[in-house]
Amino acid sequence: MGRAVAVIGFGQTKHGRREDVNYQELVYEAVKAALEDAGISPGDIEAIIYGSMPSAMEGINAAHLYLSDAMAAFGKPLMRVATCGSTGMSVAHSAFYHVASGSFDIVMAVGSEKMFENDPQGTMETVADPWFQRAFISGAPGVFTMQGNQYSHRYNLPEDRVREAAARISVNHHDNALDNPYAHIRVKITIEDVLKSRIIAYPTRLMDVCPSSDGAAALIFASEEKAKNFPKKPAWVKGLCYCGDEHFFGDSDKVVWESAIIPAERAYKMAGIQNPRKELDVAEIYNPFTYQELIFYECFGFCDRGEACKLVEEGVVLRGGELPCDPSGGVLCTNPIGATGLIRVGEAALQVTGRAGDRQIPGAKMALSHAMGGVDQFNGIMILGSEL
Amino acid sequence: MASKVAIVAVAQIKHDDCLGENIREISYEVSKDILNQVGMKREELGTIISSSSDFWEGISCSNSVYYEAIGANLKDSSKAAEDGASGFVYAVMRIMSGHFDNALVHAVTKSSEIPSLSALTNLYADPFFQRPVCLEDISTAAMQAMLYMNKYKITEEQAAKVVVKNLGNALNNPYAHKRGKIGVEEVLKSDVMAYPIKALDVATYSDGICAMLLASEERAKKMTDNPVWVKGMSWGVDHQFLGDRDLLNGKLKGVAKKAYDMAGITRPVEEIDAAEICEPYSFQELLWYEQLGFCGDGEGGKLIDSGTTAMGGRLPVNPSGGVLAHNPYVARGLIRIAEAALQVMGKAEKRQVPDVKTALAHSTHGFAGQHHSVIILGK
Repeated sequence: MGRAVAVIGFGQTKHGRREDVNYQELVYEAVKAALEDAGISPGDIEAIIYGSMPSAMEGINAAHLYLSDAMAAFGKPLMRVATCGSTGMSVAHSAFYHVASGSFDIVMAVGSEKMFENDPQGTMETVADPWFQRAFISGAPGVFTMQGNQYSHRYNLPEDRVREAAARISVNHHDNALDNPYAHIRVKITIEDVLKSRIIAYPTRLMDVCPSSDGAAALIFASEEKAKNFPKKPAWVKGLCYCGDEHFFGDSDKVVWESAIIPAERAYKMAGIQNPRKELDVAEIYNPFTYQELIFYECFGFCDRGEACKLVEEGVVLRGGELPCDPSGGVLCTNPIGATGLIRVGEAALQVTGRAGDRQIPGAKMALSHAMGGVDQFNGIMILGSEL
Repeated sequence: MASKVAIVAVAQIKHDDCLGENIREISYEVSKDILNQVGMKREELGTIISSSSDFWEGISCSNSVYYEAIGANLKDSSKAAEDGASGFVYAVMRIMSGHFDNALVHAVTKSSEIPSLSALTNLYADPFFQRPVCLEDISTAAMQAMLYMNKYKITEEQAAKVVVKNLGNALNNPYAHKRGKIGVEEVLKSDVMAYPIKALDVATYSDGICAMLLASEERAKKMTDNPVWVKGMSWGVDHQFLGDRDLLNGKLKGVAKKAYDMAGITRPVEEIDAAEICEPYSFQELLWYEQLGFCGDGEGGKLIDSGTTAMGGRLPVNPSGGVLAHNPYVARGLIRIAEAALQVMGKAEKRQVPDVKTALAHSTHGFAGQHHSVIILGK
C-alpha cells in the first residue's frame, strides 16, 4: 500500500526546565540533533511539519510561523498540525503521508513545548467546551482520574490492588528514566514513595502524574529509495492509525475505549500483527497518568479486559518482561506536550534500530508508539519495525 | 502529481457577520450536505482532515468540539491548523498515498465569537520585539502597501478598484457576506485604518465554513462525471521577523512556480481561466498578481486598470468576491479552492466564468503573506 516510509533521524533536547535557551533555540537544538543523526543538512529537507499544544500554551498564535526559522523552514513547505496531547503523533502521521504520497522524499517532523513559560492547566482548561464541561472537568488530573476510577469500578477491582499496580508502573518508569540522558525527572523512587506522595485528585498521587517540561523533538522521515542510501539502519513505518471519539466526556466509554482500541487494531492489521503481546518487542505508550496506562494495556490487546493489574504484577510490561513498556521513562518522567508524541515515535525508532543506548531492549524488532489527546478524545498509533 | 486526486463535491453556507448556529451545527450542515450530494453514507468516508485554529475559535484543541459533528467519530483523521489550504493539501496527500480512496476536508471560523483581527494577529508577533510595538495584521499590511506604492508608484485608486471589482462580483455570489455596487471614491473616503489602508480596503470578518469531498481517480469516476482534478499544489513559508523579509518579493513567486511546473503551466494568463486568490487587503491582490506571474513586477496596478482580471476579462480574479467579500479566517483558503472547483465544474451559477478548463486557488496566512499556498485545478 503506497510507498514505504522510514524514520532516518531523531533528535531531542535535554528535557526539563530550560531557562538557558529561548523557544527558538530550544527547537533548533532538536532540529540540529535530528539533522546530525541522519547526517544531512537543512538543504536536504524538502518539507516540514510542526506541532505544539493549543496556541494558548505557547502564548503565540500560529507558532509554526514564529518558529519557522528555528526549523530552517525558510522558503519551504510548512504545515502546522495540532491535536492537543496527541499532536506529536499527528505530526508524525502527517510526515508519513507527505512521503507516502510521493510528494516528498525527505521531510522533517518537529514538536515542541516550553511549559515553564506558560500555564499548562490554564491552557488545558480551555479544551473543554465553554458552556457545559469547562466548569467541572477542565484540566488534566480530574479527567484522567475519573477515567481511572471508572476502570476500577467497571471490573470491581480492589482499590489497593490498582493503586499498587499504578505505583509499580511509576517506579519502573522512574527507574527507566535513569537510563535516559534526555529525561526530565531522573530520581530513584520506591513503591512506598508513590503510595505516600500527596493526592492530586483521589486516588491519583503526585508520583502517578507526569511533570511539565520544556523540550523539543525532531524526526526525519524518508522514502524507501532515500532511506536505503543512508548509512544508519532505518526504522520502517509498519502501521499507523489515528481516531477520535465524541467531544462530550460522558458520551463515550473510556474504559473499553474505542478511540484507543480501533487505531491499534487497524495499525496491527497494516503491520501484519495478530498477537501484539508476542509480536511487539517494546511499546512507548503515552502515559501522563499511571492509571491510564493500565487502560491502554487492555485497549492495545496486551491482555484481556480487567487483567491489566496482573500484567504489571507478573512484570510482563516492566523492564525485563515479555513486552516492556516505556523504557525511556515515558511521559511520566518527561512531558513537553507538543513534542511528547513525537518522542514516543523517536524512542520506538531507536529501539528497533538498536540505538537506544542504556535503555535498549535487547533484540527489539517491532515497536508500538502511541499518543493521546483532547479531553480523553483522541488516540494515535504508529508501529515501527526493523525490517521493511 | 504522482497520482490523480479529484474534488467531487463542495459545500459552504451563506457567510455572515454572526451566524445563529454554533460551530457543531454548521459543521454538521456542510458535512451532511456533502454526503447528500454524492449519495454517500458516513460509514463510507475514508479519512477526515479539518482546519481550524485554537485562537480563531476560542477553544483549545479546536477540532475536538466539532469532531463528531463533521462525521469523524472513529475515522482516521487529523487537523492541519490555521489555513484551510493546508487541510486540503494534507487530504490530497493522504489519498495519493493509496491508504484512502476518499477524504472529507473541512474548515471553519466563527469570527463573531472571538476577539478582533488586530488582537489575534498581534499574537502572531514574537512577544519581545514585535508584539509590544503592536504589530498586527493591518499595520504590517500597511507597511507592505507603503513599500509597494513607493517602489512601483501603485496608487490608492488602483487598490480601490480591487474593492469595487470584488464586492461587485460578490453580488453574484449567494454565499458572500459582504457585497455591493460601490465606487472608487467611496473606498478612498472610508476611514483610514493604517495609512494607506482604509476601512473598505480591509477584508470583512466573517462567520463561515466550507467542506469538500476528495477522491482517488478510481473512486472519483464512480461518484461523478464531472470531477475536478488537482493538477498542482505547493506551499511555503517566509521568515518570521518582518525586517528579515523582502515584503515585495516573498515566497509566493517560488510557490506558484512549483505549482505551475506540476501542472505544466508556462504562461499563467493564457492558460488559467479563472483565479480565486486570498486578498485580505485590496492592494495585496495587485501584489499577488505579480507574484503569481499574471504580470511583471510593479505591473499589478496596470493589470487592474486594463480590466484583465474583471469578469469578462482574459483572467477573471475572484469571481466569488474573494476574501474582501467573505473572510472566515481559517476557512477562507478552502473556500477559494471550493470556488475554483465550482468554476471548473461549471457550477458557479451567476458568477460562472465561461468555459473554465483550468483554475487557480491561492491562500495565505501570517503577517503580510508569510505563508502561501497555490493549488491548480483542471478538467
